[in-house]
Amino acid sequence: MTDAPHTMSRRQLIRHSAWFGAAVGLAVVGGEVISHIAGTAEAARIQGRPALRFAQVSDSHIGFSGKANPNVAGSFDQAIDRINSLGYVPDFVIHTGDLTHLSTPEQFDQAKQMMTGFRTPHVFTVPGEHDSIDDGGQKYRSAFGAGTRGDGWYSFDIAGVHVIALVNTLNLKKLGHLGVDQLEFIAKDVASLPSDTPIIVFSHIPLFAMYPDWGWGTDDATQALSYLRRFSSVTCLNGHVHQVFSKTEGNVTFYSATTTAYPLPHPGDGPAPKPVTLPAGKLHDALGIREVNYTRGQTALALKEQTLQ
Amino acid sequence: MTFAGVVTRIGIAAALTVSGISHAYLYIHGYRHIPTIGTSFLAQASVSFAIAALILVGGPAWLRWAGAMVAGGSLVAFALSRTVGLFGFSEQGWQPSPHAAVDVLVEVLAVGLWVVYLVERRRARG
Repeated sequence: MTDAPHTMSRRQLIRHSAWFGAAVGLAVVGGEVISHIAGTAEAARIQGRPALRFAQVSDSHIGFSGKANPNVAGSFDQAIDRINSLGYVPDFVIHTGDLTHLSTPEQFDQAKQMMTGFRTPHVFTVPGEHDSIDDGGQKYRSAFGAGTRGDGWYSFDIAGVHVIALVNTLNLKKLGHLGVDQLEFIAKDVASLPSDTPIIVFSHIPLFAMYPDWGWGTDDATQALSYLRRFSSVTCLNGHVHQVFSKTEGNVTFYSATTTAYPLPHPGDGPAPKPVTLPAGKLHDALGIREVNYTRGQTALALKEQTLQ
Repeated sequence: MTFAGVVTRIGIAAALTVSGISHAYLYIHGYRHIPTIGTSFLAQASVSFAIAALILVGGPAWLRWAGAMVAGGSLVAFALSRTVGLFGFSEQGWQPSPHAAVDVLVEVLAVGLWVVYLVERRRARG
C-alpha cells in the first residue's frame, strides 16, 4: 500500500469493510424484526381463522388449443388440485370468467364437469367475453346462471361481507360495459348497507383502466364505483388480462388475476394481447390461483398468489 | 466535523428513519401481501434503519451516499407507481395518506441534505 491520494490503506479497507458488514447485519436484523412484528400482528388479528377464506381462478379457456398451452384442461385440473390442497376448505371458489374458449355447449359442459371437482360448498362464476361469443351469454346462463339476475349478475352476503358479481362482457364495443340495468342493480343493492360493510366485487374485465387500448377497462365503471365510494373497504377482483396486477384508488383496491390457460403480454408489449408461448418448462410459472382471506376489523383483504409450478 | 456536517448527518439519519418507519408501517398493515412490492417495502425499511443508525454513530461518508441513493430510489419507485406502474402495481396521487406525502417529503429532504453535505465538503476542501 502507498500513501498516494485515492488509494486505501489496509487499515482503511478493514474499517470500511466493518462498516459495510455492520450495515448488512443491521439491515438483516431490521428486516427480521419487521417481519416478526408483521407476523405477530397477523396472528393476533386472526386468532384462529379468518372470517372468510375463498379462492379465485380465472380464464381457464377450456377448448383452447394452441402452442401457448396445448393442454388447458390439464392445467385447469392442476389449478383445481391446488385449491383442493390448500389445507382448508375455502368458503367458496370464484371463477372470474372465460371458463370456455369458444362458448360451445361441449366446452361449457366440460368446464362445468371439471368444476364439480372443487372441494368447497359454493362455486361462483361470472362470464368472460369468450363465454358469450355468439349468443349474448345465453349458453353461459343455461349452464351457470341459476339464481342470477338480469344478464347473469348477482350479489350475496357471507361472513359479514357483501359480494357483488358483475357482468361486463356483453354489449362490448372496445371496453367492458355494465349497462344501465346493471348500474341500477348496483345502486339499489348497496343502498341499505352500512358504510362499514366490506364489499367485494367480481367481474371479468377490470373495473379500472388497466390498458384501454387493448380493451382492458370498463367504460361505465366510474358510475358503478361511485355507488361504492362511501364504503370503507372495496376490493375488486377480475380476470381477463391473464396476469397479476393491482391498483388502489382511494378506498377501492383492484386486483387482476392470472390465468390457468396461457399468458398474455404485459400492457402495451406488442400490438395486441395475443397468447404468449413461453419457453419449455416456464408456462406453469405464469399460471396460478389466488387465495383471499378476510379478517373482521381489517379494511384490506389478504391475497396470496400461487403458481401452478 | 463542521456544524453543517453534524446537521446534515443528523438530518439524513432522521429523514431515513421516518421513511423507514412509514414503509415498515405500510408493510405490516397490508402491503406485504402485494407481490414484489411487499418485499421491496421490507427491504427499504430495514436498509433505511441500518444506514440511519450507522450514519448517526459516525459512519464513513459513503453511508450518506448510500442513504441518499435509498431515498432517491424510493422517490423514483414512487414516481413509477404513479405513472407506468412498478412490478404490476400502481397507486393514485397521494394515497395512502398521509404516508405517501410524508415519504416524499423526508426522501426529498434526505437527498437535499446529502447535496448540501457534498457542497459543504467541496467548499471545505477549497
